[in-house]
Amino acid sequence: MTEKFENKVSWCQNCLNMSTRPRIKFDDRGWCNACQWMEEKKILDWKSRKQELMETLDRFKSKSGGFDCIVPVSGGKDGSYVSYQLKHQFGMNPLAVTVTPALSLELGDTNIKNYIDSGYNHIQISPDAYAMKVLNRQGFVEKGFPYFGWLIAIQAAVVRLAVNLSIPLLFYGEDGEVEYGGSTESKNRAMYDIDYMKRIYMEGGYEKVLTSSGLSKSELYFFLFPTDQEIQGKELFITHWSYYESWDPYRNYLVAKEHCGLQEAPESNTGTFTNFAQNDQALYALHTYLMYLKFGFGRATQDAGIEIRRGAMTRDQAINLVRLYDGHYPEEFIEVYLKYYEMERDEFEGVLNKWANKELFKKLNGRWTPTFRVE
Amino acid sequence: MLKKRLIFTLFYDQGAFMLSRNFRLQKVGNMDWLQNNYNFSKVAFSIDELIVLDVSRAKRDLHEFCRNLKTLSQGCFVPISAGGGVRSIEDAKTLLRSGADKIVVNTPLFEIPSLITNLSAEFGQQCIVASVDAKMETGIGYQVWIKNGSQCVGGTLNDWIKKLSQYPVGDLYLNSMDRDGTGQGYDMTILNELPDDLPMPLIMSGGAGHYNHLSQGLSDKRIDAVATGHLFNFLGDGLERSRKELINKGFHLPVWDHRRAESLKILYSGDSH
Amino acid sequence: MASHCITIVDYGMGNIGSVVGALKFLGVESVVTPDPEQVQMAQSLILPGVGSFRKAMEKLRSTGLDQAILEAVEKKGGAILGICLGMQLLGAASTEDGESSGLLLVPNRVDRFTTDTSNPTKIPHVGFNSVQFSDREGLFSDLPEKADFYFVHSYRMLQEDLKGRTAICDYGGEFLAAFETGRICGTQFHPEKSQTNGLILLKNFIEMVSSC
Repeated sequence: MTEKFENKVSWCQNCLNMSTRPRIKFDDRGWCNACQWMEEKKILDWKSRKQELMETLDRFKSKSGGFDCIVPVSGGKDGSYVSYQLKHQFGMNPLAVTVTPALSLELGDTNIKNYIDSGYNHIQISPDAYAMKVLNRQGFVEKGFPYFGWLIAIQAAVVRLAVNLSIPLLFYGEDGEVEYGGSTESKNRAMYDIDYMKRIYMEGGYEKVLTSSGLSKSELYFFLFPTDQEIQGKELFITHWSYYESWDPYRNYLVAKEHCGLQEAPESNTGTFTNFAQNDQALYALHTYLMYLKFGFGRATQDAGIEIRRGAMTRDQAINLVRLYDGHYPEEFIEVYLKYYEMERDEFEGVLNKWANKELFKKLNGRWTPTFRVE
Repeated sequence: MLKKRLIFTLFYDQGAFMLSRNFRLQKVGNMDWLQNNYNFSKVAFSIDELIVLDVSRAKRDLHEFCRNLKTLSQGCFVPISAGGGVRSIEDAKTLLRSGADKIVVNTPLFEIPSLITNLSAEFGQQCIVASVDAKMETGIGYQVWIKNGSQCVGGTLNDWIKKLSQYPVGDLYLNSMDRDGTGQGYDMTILNELPDDLPMPLIMSGGAGHYNHLSQGLSDKRIDAVATGHLFNFLGDGLERSRKELINKGFHLPVWDHRRAESLKILYSGDSH
Repeated sequence: MASHCITIVDYGMGNIGSVVGALKFLGVESVVTPDPEQVQMAQSLILPGVGSFRKAMEKLRSTGLDQAILEAVEKKGGAILGICLGMQLLGAASTEDGESSGLLLVPNRVDRFTTDTSNPTKIPHVGFNSVQFSDREGLFSDLPEKADFYFVHSYRMLQEDLKGRTAICDYGGEFLAAFETGRICGTQFHPEKSQTNGLILLKNFIEMVSSC
């Protein structure tokens, strides 16, 4: 069975994106859409994109000293970079917004504080923790998305804030689908909308999870997008910074480090070899572990792809790292997860078992072990 | 004709080996990790020289460092340069007795130059590696930093190199703080700060991520050796492959058959492994 | 597998640790000793050395190690491998720090590299350089035709009329990089610092001495 399946599983010939990744496509060289996009970015007319940016900013720039754009931030490199650019390069007056995750890490908290101290107006939204827990748990069990609640909130709550405060311009960082090997439909589109968010980012699971949560509307306030009625007559311009400027996560890291007080973790993060990304919440390690179980690739593969595409490493070098680090079982967080989800170990493992792709993994000594070898 | 060198640098901090990115350290693993996951003994057969630096920001424990150094030297049959915190002849002696062939000095070059003269007199000029960390300051130019890149020494890099080239040292180990650990390649413009007639060999460091960077460095006639400390990028067979490619492309590196290492080991050890 | 034992002469000068390490890698036990009596009885010796010829000879003489080495090699037919300064000490004399005489196990003299103003070479000779062998047997068997080894020295031996196998290196002119004459061997380079090439040479020496 392994042999048969190995014929079906393949890896991008440039980075190590796996054919199992949802919405991935390969060209006849065997290069995935993320790598093709990387090539396109080299010859793209960024000048005209910048022009578009200037026009958009001009349109929304505050003339009264109020906030003219919203940037969701986590204290990490990407939001820091985008808000830094908006404020210092383009003279805008951004309002940074953080949606408090469950199980925030100390380093994450430090980074948010450092970020704010480096000079930004900031609002912290902490959605109802119980509601978030219910949604997270539900997401974990039913979708294999351990922080689904937070994922909803960083979109819904932020959009709601934008509408309530009448700040129509909303800059998310990168379009992860376009940058990392997913759907390319929004590649040449500046704006996107709530529908795209629900369809793509929440993989169409939004309504179902909310209705089956048993939570009341008021508990769900920060998880609900404003209705069409509420938006009517109001402007809403949701966009990605990655549309206007070639997205470079490493560059973001360097700028955030230099100007926004970003600190790295003292050691490599679980399941990867980097220490400077995704340091804000404990559930991220579980999220990437589930991704590994579902699709066969984890955090190391993603980070390796970024390194390869920015020219810092070759595919051959990356294979060694992916084979060594990918899919690390987040042992150090298990107790924390069990306590949070109010689950016993068996139930927790049961969820993992449910999501493990049996064609890619088999259980050896109690752990899901890959039957494939990254090549 | 003397060959050029491919050097690996290990950054050591209190029992662990680190990745350095713009002089911020990330713990990668301890000696076990280095031997098992990184397969150091295999990697040691792909390099021409090993540099081991104690870059600890805390109080350095020379004896623990030397214990690690001894272990490393057992599987390493090329010259080993060691340093980090060397402040006396005694420190140097301790390192040399623990497997080092050369001593790396940085801060003393700028704060205790008499130590350099003494070390050189005691151990020989070729035994001293002068390590210089440089950072570009917009509007000013390249400047030198000491004490693990925490303190700026006044003056320009250019002036300092001119001065240092008169010192009795064997190699100049020049490191770009801006490129350190970034995988963006060596800062080739820093070479413009060097005098045409630099009397000692130049080891280039800071930013090497893969083969192309190494080959770019070796292609420049001002560079005698290329160094990298990137534990991740050269994990597994990364360094071995890079070396092979460099030699295939005609770069003037020493040639030996690294595959013989295993068979030589078994030859006499029999089934002891 | 016959057990081998090599005696390494410890006269306080030389990176003995690396030599011990290389032998250990090859599975060979070695004894490190400063004791002339032990040295005298050894069947196979390694004489390492880093530093000044004059100082080294003074040490060997004052400890009686010079006599012990000669006894072991000349009288008892033991084998010896001199490494770097150790190889130079096997010669007749050196001009380093003024004239001093060596062990005279080989008749060659040791002089400083000469620098030609038309072709200046940096002294000391430091780094990996290529060596060519007169033939690839004995001490040099199993090595590639042109092999790279690690050198670090300012003084060197010329080939002169040395009988036996020789290895030549060119650094501002040819000089003797290694030799094997009877059971007396020397390498100007450091085999323990020359990757597998060095290990192969050490293996050859070990095989030479075990066949007695």
